[in-house]
Amino acid sequence: MLEILLSQVVSGLVLGGLYVLIAIGLSVIFGLLGIVNFAHGTFFTLGAYLALTLYQYFGWPAVIFSPILVGAIGMVAERLLIRRLYDKEPLISLIVTFALALLIEASVRLIYGGIGQPFSPPPLLSGFLIWGPILITKYRFAVLLTTAVLLLGLWLFLEKTPFGRILRAGSRDPEMVGLLGINLPRVLTWVFGLGCAISGIAGVLAAPLWTITPAMATNAIMPAFVVVAIGGLGSFAGAVIAGLLVGVVIALTIQFYPAASGAVMYLFMALMLLVRPRGLLGERWERFE
Amino acid sequence: MKPVNTGLLLARRKVLLGAAAGSLAAPFIARAADPIKIGLLLAKTGQIAAQTEYLANGSYLALEQRNNMIMGQPAELVWLDEPSPQAATQNMQKLVQENKVCAVLGGSLSSNALAEEATAAQLKVPFVCDNAAATEISGKNCNRYTFRLNTPVAVQSRMLAPFALTYGKKWYHITASYAFGQDILRSSRELLKAAGGTEVGSDEVPLNTADFSSFILKIRQAKPDVVVGGLSAGDLSTFLKQWNELGMKGKIPFVEIAIGDTDIWAVGPEAATGTFTKMWEHSNPDNPPEERAFAAAYLKKHGKPAADKAWMGWITARSLFESIDAAKSLDGMAIVEGLEAWKAPAGNASYSYRKFDHQMLVRNLAVSVKPNITDKWDYFDVKATLPENPADIDKVFGTQEEVGCKMG
Repeated sequence: MLEILLSQVVSGLVLGGLYVLIAIGLSVIFGLLGIVNFAHGTFFTLGAYLALTLYQYFGWPAVIFSPILVGAIGMVAERLLIRRLYDKEPLISLIVTFALALLIEASVRLIYGGIGQPFSPPPLLSGFLIWGPILITKYRFAVLLTTAVLLLGLWLFLEKTPFGRILRAGSRDPEMVGLLGINLPRVLTWVFGLGCAISGIAGVLAAPLWTITPAMATNAIMPAFVVVAIGGLGSFAGAVIAGLLVGVVIALTIQFYPAASGAVMYLFMALMLLVRPRGLLGERWERFE
Repeated sequence: MKPVNTGLLLARRKVLLGAAAGSLAAPFIARAADPIKIGLLLAKTGQIAAQTEYLANGSYLALEQRNNMIMGQPAELVWLDEPSPQAATQNMQKLVQENKVCAVLGGSLSSNALAEEATAAQLKVPFVCDNAAATEISGKNCNRYTFRLNTPVAVQSRMLAPFALTYGKKWYHITASYAFGQDILRSSRELLKAAGGTEVGSDEVPLNTADFSSFILKIRQAKPDVVVGGLSAGDLSTFLKQWNELGMKGKIPFVEIAIGDTDIWAVGPEAATGTFTKMWEHSNPDNPPEERAFAAAYLKKHGKPAADKAWMGWITARSLFESIDAAKSLDGMAIVEGLEAWKAPAGNASYSYRKFDHQMLVRNLAVSVKPNITDKWDYFDVKATLPENPADIDKVFGTQEEVGCKMG
């Protein structure tokens, strides 16, 4: 029994890692821009589709350009659409980003068609790793490792670089940052692009595991919102802990009561909101209260 | 006394009368020029949309092949979404009450179709279900206004069971936790029990599950002879993809009823595996001439082969259009009677809806994934056409007592 439980925990960590990546982008955008981005899942979809296209035309190495392209598309969306929502009611940003999600999904459907696209892990990462009782495929291990490196890099970027300090300051007091001569609108464009690019990375990593369809965002966006709600809106560390917890809880539920595996994360979120409405590491922010 | 110009007065009256008559007649003239409308109730988003795209393509092609005419009048399809059973019901009402459709084609998921068939009976509008396979649709939930193409789950399970039993009697079930999957689980358990086999494990999977690795780990540990699936559309594709990724392809056989071409195309040649039942195969040399012509027309129009779902959309639409022609009326009951009498040749057999349950009697194919896939549209070897003797088809689909349909 211990053998299968350990394997389930590792499997849950891989799933949780993907949820963390999607949720971190969502959390960064909300924390710094104050926008609840309903279109976030479709940037995950774009990441998967662009990876597939780049692979088909240029081979595996070109796949790394997919998140960069997704980030660029996100920046264009910010300049044309999202920027106009900063001083508007939250409800308007929900409606507009939801419309953006529908537009992106419909565009993907128009270009690629509605049917799923086949895509497998690279041959280099086929096969298994077995450590004692734990079994994991090489590709899933690579996903886990990539997620950990990315999260560490992102944390260092936000905490230790001058640009990261501007971002954090801008999220708390945008007016003061502007008075210091910093072009905050340009910074916000980069932030939105960064959030979308991270979601794109999750899409690239998930593409060989999930079925690539225009609707694949459905499987990504809801867990991401749940993870952000459990971790605390805008909290980096909260999203990481919550994402991994959600992944492991789902995996263990599959082991013991599979029919509830789709609902368990919502139950987890409801319990968290009852006990601690701000989430695990959510802070009290004057700007949003 | 001034002479009265009665001629002018009469002429003016005639003009006024004519104008009045014209204005009264105008709506009728306009109505006569309105096209005949047929509702299409199929999901436009979600995982099932991969299948519904082909169902809709098939129905549109069936209409185009008639030059968009029914009963000698222009006709059109009005397509509304079916995102959930409740919304599907609302959209069916909208199709009938606002769009004034005379009949509805659709029902992409069993859960939706079960709600839609009840609404069809309530609104007294003919409903031809082109995809859903839940047994109850033409079983205990049947009604006079509902007709169904897909072979019921219980019948398909009976067709597939002998293939599963060739692998052994220790089965593991992995089924979707909604009407379709629950129906498969129920039928498969009965068949396994009758064969004296054992269920070594069973998991009900929520719809739209993205990661099956935890389920696959459980199956790996249970070591069954065969896995009997009951997953649908995108979920089946994801499962098979991860089944291969976790090294299970070729180790434990996988069987499932009612696979669609779009499900397996999404898996890819590297990961595809399994034995399935299927309604139609574009490359089957035994297809009758009408279906070969349909396959050629589809290929010409869309630049890719017709999936089985395209044929399902085409044959149901064709049955409806030809029945309206035969009925020479848009009245709901007249169309129902037309559908009850409809018959079309199918090689050495024929297609028709059975009188007592409105189930179309179609022989199914047992197909297995080819060992080497060289054409990205051609994944299957046809192993058998079931039932092997066409004369047995009525028996295989069950008697009225076995089916449990009472239309009243």
